Amino acid sequence: MRATYTHLKRLLLASIACVLGAALLTYAIDPLQLFRPSRLAAFYSDDTRVQNAGLIRSQSFDTAFMGTSLAIHFRQSDIDRALAVHSLKLAMTGSNSRQQAFVLERAIDRGARRVIWEMDDFIFVDAADIESDPYLSVDLYRATAKGIASYLFSAAMAKESLFALLRSVPPLREPLTRAAPYLPVKFALADVDDIYALPRDFDVAREYNATKTLASFAYITAPSRRRFLGEGYDLEAMVRHFEHDAVGLIARHPDVTFDVYFPPYSILQFVAMRDASPETLKIVTDLTARIAQRLTLLPNVRLHDFRAIKQVTHDLDNYGDVIHHSPVVDTKVLKWLAIGEYRVDPKAPLKSLEELKSQVEAYRVPQ
Amino acid sequence: MLFNSYPFVLLFLPTVLAGYFWLGRRSNLAPVIWLALGSITFYAIGGWQFVVLLLLSIAFNYGIGHLLIVAKLGPSGRRAALALGVTGDLLVLGIFKYAGFAAENINALFGTHVAPHILLPVGISFYTFTQIAFLVDAYRGQVAAYALPHYALFVTYFPHLIAGPILHHKDMIPQFERKQSKHPDPHLILCGVIIFAIGLFKKTCLADGIQPLVALAFEARSPSFDQAWLGALAYTFQLYFDFSGYSDMAIGISLMFGIFLPVNFNSPYKATSIVEFWRRWHMTLSQFLRDYLYIPLGGNRRGRVLRYVNLLITMLLGGLWHGAAWTFVIWGALHGAYLCVNHAFNALVPDVPGLLVRPFRIAGAVLTFLAVVVAWVFFRAVSVEWALRVLHAMADPSNIVLGREEIAALVMVAVYAALVWLGPNTQALMGYDHAGRRVGEALRAGRMRPLFLYAASLVLAFGILGIQSHSEFIYFRF
Repeated sequence: MRATYTHLKRLLLASIACVLGAALLTYAIDPLQLFRPSRLAAFYSDDTRVQNAGLIRSQSFDTAFMGTSLAIHFRQSDIDRALAVHSLKLAMTGSNSRQQAFVLERAIDRGARRVIWEMDDFIFVDAADIESDPYLSVDLYRATAKGIASYLFSAAMAKESLFALLRSVPPLREPLTRAAPYLPVKFALADVDDIYALPRDFDVAREYNATKTLASFAYITAPSRRRFLGEGYDLEAMVRHFEHDAVGLIARHPDVTFDVYFPPYSILQFVAMRDASPETLKIVTDLTARIAQRLTLLPNVRLHDFRAIKQVTHDLDNYGDVIHHSPVVDTKVLKWLAIGEYRVDPKAPLKSLEELKSQVEAYRVPQ
Repeated sequence: MLFNSYPFVLLFLPTVLAGYFWLGRRSNLAPVIWLALGSITFYAIGGWQFVVLLLLSIAFNYGIGHLLIVAKLGPSGRRAALALGVTGDLLVLGIFKYAGFAAENINALFGTHVAPHILLPVGISFYTFTQIAFLVDAYRGQVAAYALPHYALFVTYFPHLIAGPILHHKDMIPQFERKQSKHPDPHLILCGVIIFAIGLFKKTCLADGIQPLVALAFEARSPSFDQAWLGALAYTFQLYFDFSGYSDMAIGISLMFGIFLPVNFNSPYKATSIVEFWRRWHMTLSQFLRDYLYIPLGGNRRGRVLRYVNLLITMLLGGLWHGAAWTFVIWGALHGAYLCVNHAFNALVPDVPGLLVRPFRIAGAVLTFLAVVVAWVFFRAVSVEWALRVLHAMADPSNIVLGREEIAALVMVAVYAALVWLGPNTQALMGYDHAGRRVGEALRAGRMRPLFLYAASLVLAFGILGIQSHSEFIYFRF
């Protein structure tokens, strides 16, 4: 019996030793670069909700780039070149305004003096409060004891640390680095520029074309799915979130310049609402009218509206579905931002919106 | 409360264990009451609003059981008592579990807008089925009178309460009555910790680890061929390790209290036929459906055609038990159809010659696995339409992406497949014999090397390190 108790004690003590060893390994390797910039060759993850916490701490930057999946494929190097800035891309696919404002606040605290913010209307739909958001660890960003503990005492991070350690062994470095993107490890990208960026040899025409865009339009406007178009859209709640998350953040940082832009969706996004859910279209236009009127009054905001640029939004070959544009349009967006083309005039904040409304009304879907 | 949570592992379990054994030195009844109270606390932490329902259900069924066991009722009175008990149980289950589903269908049919807002009490399916079995056995005269604390503990016993296994009173209550189980048995505690560690590792590292890949098929609007297959396979393995992990943890925790729970999993993906699959997957549910539904329906005693009808009815209801949605009904119907085909095949095809047995078994295993994967698509999809979309993609090899993400997913799925098909299961590894009340004999006899203990400690460490704050069990809401 005594021997069994000894076995039990040994098992539990060995487990505690393993837990502490794993935490020590993660601390030493620090795959997220939360404590220090990497001493080994740095690697990055596509999981931007986690990765951003480390990027904000380990990278140097003067500009933060924020957005949803509409802004996810931009490359930092392109942003830097086009806008003559030292940027940090923090876009998070499917993110809401609570998450975006929270992450931006951390970036501003760490030195961002300019924010480029791709703003979708649907980021303002109701979602979990940031303090209880299951998809974004505020404690990790704030580096609280709980956040640090969840980082250090994590099997996933221990696995990443072990892989990073193996990758630092000279004979293994080259083959493991090449294999990493194809292995089930998260920190696989050797270049910060590659985070959620499309490969340079990406076949744009295959993924972005009118056939796909029209198929997506037919899909979302099918009678059985129409109701999803308006899911979560409630003007009052959206305005409240806009005021709290966007205006609140901007007002708290008068020394930071905010370049906010409405992305160039395909015209079919609005036509889908026009045909299948007109009440949603009304909410969207009312909300963006409110945003335009409010933001153009703020001295540190430059608002850009790309939604009525007919030569882009009506050319369905630019899209992979009704909203997501190709990298070719990414380049154009950077150019427009750089030269200030399509900047909303504070004296006529609704001009481009009115133009968009007429386009939506007049548009006939190709048969 | 989740088994895979720090409050449970570091606080709740040690406290309940310590109290149980401390009281066990003084009395045989006090630990039972303590464990029942602990179980109710465990339930209350996860869903305090349903505790009253659980207690009412226990009181109601114990009362009916009392009528059937102790009261001297005539045959018609006994039949009426059983009917009252079973109807009451099914009524409560029906209201809480199926009212929303019924309203949804009525709305679809008649254009009405009835919308009952009823939350599903955690574990209701498990404790209702457990008690229905008790009533039926009491009616059949197979139950001796039980004290209320033992009965209450049998229903609420926290290792099984939320997601099974479905317990049988004849197996459990005598164990609760035993004096020996109230004294700490270091061997059982050691084996319990190891089995719990294996289960925790399966859940936190394996099931939660592959979970993100499921989105490839089930959250994409139009998945490609490879994405649909990888997502469906990822879900197939996620569900396996999730449920198997839970079952192991339940057995491990219970073993620390000196109580043997029935095995619920026996490497089901190694099955070479659907019939065998159901003898290996959620074994206690299969037994329940067989003993309390399929056999009372007539089983295979009324000819081949009625046998198939009974099989279909049993599996349809089994599907509906898993969830109130058409996807679950289709999942059940598919398995019913698979079982019919399997039985028809066995009846029509003569025995396979010796030389062909092995290839035949391999082909059977592959076909069984594929059939199970196809059915899981309905089980996981949010709607029938979504399931058909995934299946359509799985049948269209002309659309293949096989990019960076897909290759990484393929590597992961291959690793999981190797674990499932080449690895031993927990009961084999630990020599767990539920019927013989034996476990870890090799460990006791010192035949296992210290390496085994250190490997177990690593598994426990990684199981604990893998705990995430948002990781529920798939079977929690059934």
